[in-house]
Amino acid sequence: MSPLALVASGSFEPPSAYDFWHPLVGDGPFALTRPMILIAFSVLVLAVFFLVTSNRRAMVPGKLQFAAEGVYGFVRNGVALDILGRREFRPYVPMLFTMFTLILVNNVFGIIPFIQYPTFSRIAFPIALTLIVFVVYHAIGIRRRGLGGYFKSLMPAGVPIILAPLVYLLELATYFITRPLTLALRLFANMFAGHMMLLVFALGGEYLLLHTDSVVLQAASIGSFLMFILMTFFELLVQALQAYVFVLLAAFYIAGSLEDAH
Amino acid sequence: MTSPVLAAAASEGSEGWWSGVAYPIIPHPGEIIIGLIAFSILYVVMAKFVVPRFEQTFEERREAIEGGMEKAERAQAEAERTLAEYKQQLAEAREEAGRIREEARAQGAQILEEMRQRAESEAQRVTESAQRQIASERQQAMLSLRGEVGGLATELASRIVGESLADEARQSRVVDRFLEDLERGERESMPLGGTGGGSHPVGDPDAGGGVLGFLKRGRS
Amino acid sequence: MEGSLNAVGYGLAAIGPAIAVGLIFAAYINGVARQPESRGLLQPIAILGFALAEALAILGFVLAFVLG
Repeated sequence: MSPLALVASGSFEPPSAYDFWHPLVGDGPFALTRPMILIAFSVLVLAVFFLVTSNRRAMVPGKLQFAAEGVYGFVRNGVALDILGRREFRPYVPMLFTMFTLILVNNVFGIIPFIQYPTFSRIAFPIALTLIVFVVYHAIGIRRRGLGGYFKSLMPAGVPIILAPLVYLLELATYFITRPLTLALRLFANMFAGHMMLLVFALGGEYLLLHTDSVVLQAASIGSFLMFILMTFFELLVQALQAYVFVLLAAFYIAGSLEDAH
Repeated sequence: MTSPVLAAAASEGSEGWWSGVAYPIIPHPGEIIIGLIAFSILYVVMAKFVVPRFEQTFEERREAIEGGMEKAERAQAEAERTLAEYKQQLAEAREEAGRIREEARAQGAQILEEMRQRAESEAQRVTESAQRQIASERQQAMLSLRGEVGGLATELASRIVGESLADEARQSRVVDRFLEDLERGERESMPLGGTGGGSHPVGDPDAGGGVLGFLKRGRS
Repeated sequence: MEGSLNAVGYGLAAIGPAIAVGLIFAAYINGVARQPESRGLLQPIAILGFALAEALAILGFVLAFVLG
């Protein structure tokens, strides 16, 4: 009996979106779910951690303070300063820093034992953050140039008259649909797919080890678990990278609105 | 893919468009709200406390580093100044030492010169006094000799001629004549040494001649 | 095995973005190898390009769910 045949027979249930639905209290659009608890927990952890580490303010930092300052310096200098420019980066540092730390910690929840749930694999959370970025970069653009000026500025310069309407439509779509959509979906899809992959290896290994009679299949579960461990480390990389990509793109969008002319 | 998922969800009794079970890209409204609230709370904490503190720390550290650099620069300048000063002092000291050595050398030469002069004058003085002493002693010796030689010669002559020469004037005349003869004879051919050598205190022929000369001169 | 056609379709759709991501990082590595000091400048650009190329794969992933 091959593994595929096992799946086909219906005795093995592959992981599905159902594995991400964890209502704790109530049932419905406003039910209290597990990721809500997790994100609240992450906010608590982050607030306490950064309040404590930033409060010490030693000239020569300790280990924890060094780590906290490293993260802050990374977002401040590596993202905000580099992309927004020296003149205007300061007001956006708290927002980018909050997003980066929140995403990073909630992503890493996906591989922390006993939590093992990446909060951002629930699309509602990436959408919430994207909404904020969306509002911020449009608000900056409109405040800088006025409503009409902003929509005029979306038109790239030097486009032939004939192509102008088409290009303008594409630009509108980019600014109002593609950018927020991809920003939210990228984070969600990476977390969702990554966690699903871990589930496949974990559940598959468990099924092979406990629910089959063949010794060969039980031995094959070792490979599945090894892959699970390997993929866990790969996930750590992806989680950190996605947190970085999210704030990087947010900073790019804001920088686009800050520019004087397109 | 939907149907087995929906079937599974249905069997658990918790499906719905909000649950995202059938379509994972459908957001759960409650989660959006919680997400916004969570972000807002964390944003307030970060913007109000964490970021300003970190900025202040960075600023303080930057200032501390710059202050440290400034201090180091000051210290360097100070060190350079001290080094220059020290070098100058060293050069001055060397010059001073050279000058002192030169002075000492000159002084030494002067002292040496003085010593030499003093020694020379002293030597001269000693020589002079010795010569003077010798001269006075000789004069003394001559005086005493003349008396004695005169007496002896008179006695000898009186004995030889057998006549008394008590008369002072005559005696003196005879002696003078005798001495004159002696001197003349000595000057012409023969030295006096043979005749008066044995009894004469000064054995030297020259000295004897000198003595006679002196006697005669002292007499006249 | 219902729904597996979606997975196949997504797999095919992911080929393009996969090649794109490979090209982007190849160019990035080339650039950094030639001029190591340009790393700081190239890194955000490379990540941005990677994110844009990845967006296509993500759209495919989402559509694989939506068009069930």
